[in-house]
Amino acid sequence: MPFLSIDPTDMYYSRELCFAGAACDLRTNSPWLYGILEGLSISTRETVPGGFRMWVAVDESSDEAVGEPHFRGLHHVVTASFGGSNVFVFDILRRTLSASVSAAIARDGRFWKEKLIPITLGILGAAIGLVPVHCACLEMDGAGLLIAGVSGTGKSTLSVTLSKAGFNYVSDDWTYISRRHDGLVAHGTSAPVKLLPDAVEHFRSLMGRSLQRSMNGELAYELDIAEAFGARVERGCVPRWLVFLERSRGAGSVFTPMSSAEARRYVNSSVERLPSRLFEAVAMRAQTIEQVALLPSWRFRYGGTPQFAAQELREFVLHRKQEIYV
Amino acid sequence: MTVEPCWHPDLLRRFVPTPYVFSKGDGPNRLFVESNDLEIALGIRQAGLAQLRGKRVGALLCKLIRDLADLGDRSEITIISDGTLRVLYLGRATILIYDQERSELFGFVARNVKVEELVSSLIPGLLNA
Repeated sequence: MPFLSIDPTDMYYSRELCFAGAACDLRTNSPWLYGILEGLSISTRETVPGGFRMWVAVDESSDEAVGEPHFRGLHHVVTASFGGSNVFVFDILRRTLSASVSAAIARDGRFWKEKLIPITLGILGAAIGLVPVHCACLEMDGAGLLIAGVSGTGKSTLSVTLSKAGFNYVSDDWTYISRRHDGLVAHGTSAPVKLLPDAVEHFRSLMGRSLQRSMNGELAYELDIAEAFGARVERGCVPRWLVFLERSRGAGSVFTPMSSAEARRYVNSSVERLPSRLFEAVAMRAQTIEQVALLPSWRFRYGGTPQFAAQELREFVLHRKQEIYV
Repeated sequence: MTVEPCWHPDLLRRFVPTPYVFSKGDGPNRLFVESNDLEIALGIRQAGLAQLRGKRVGALLCKLIRDLADLGDRSEITIISDGTLRVLYLGRATILIYDQERSELFGFVARNVKVEELVSSLIPGLLNA
């Protein structure tokens, strides 16, 4: 039987990196992969309490590209494979990721940026103090606005529009939330903003750009928001409000207060159920979710263009900030 | 009153019920097995610690799920070890994990893997690698 030992003493490329505020102790034998991950790492002032270890052994003799994903989990371990040569083993209890991958995948920056880093934060998040929440996050003067909503409600389009209307961009799809002594911190990653083909109706600058096949099979524009729209990007902020996006057919908008129970239910629907042996991670995650659920929450129902919705949200945030100052 | 959250579907198959539970021996010779497949549970119990892991000592806790997902592959066996966890892949659907510190063996067995092969070859190969 072939035996692959993921031995850190054979991995000469080693560095402490940072993803969504979580410290990552990387070791690998591949200078290519080292360079890619170093480029994706973003140091932030706000760090989460736990870090994780990532050991990646690269088989330079294999050129197998990213294959069909296959995930399984039992007890404290989750495995992911993307073809026979690319396997990842996540140990939630010990906060580690050990992997054996092909040279092709080690050179595929898109795979690490869009797939592996978000997957890792999603799986190990509970153990390292990060809760992945399916929402966008925009920031203004230090105050964060979380925008939740089911897929297709226009979170990404609205995120881009808000970033053109005075907000700083943190994330458009998944936001990673951690706790600190005085509240919550929302973190983004370096994942690109993803706009569906019809976004060209709202952003003419997309004409001439090409659509790409996303990891979930959708055709979409995947863009660096700073480069494509000149947005200012913040890697973290303090979330102050939670808004649930809903579309209506008629024009106009209305904000309706939402209960913490509804907010809790939504955030819980973003996270995986964990086995009982991970009780510490479960408890830590529950505390974070509880704090998110206690944020002032509204249902924002609107019809019309993203520009109209962005204007309404901007006025809403400015009004709320005035209330805080008063 | 707390409301039970509405969870995702169990895509990782973490929470598959394992009604077939057997225990054999005690103390350092204890073998505990649970599975969703009676044949697997009985096969491991029958094999016993001596066959599964040779001369090594210590209890062993096993949880194995018969995975009915049809990935249609059955390539060579690969074992990956990071010093604490040792993982055996047979194709992509059979994944056996051995946690050396916790003395636990758990994972998924593809529908096309026979119990005989599991207890006589795959598990000993993993535990004694």
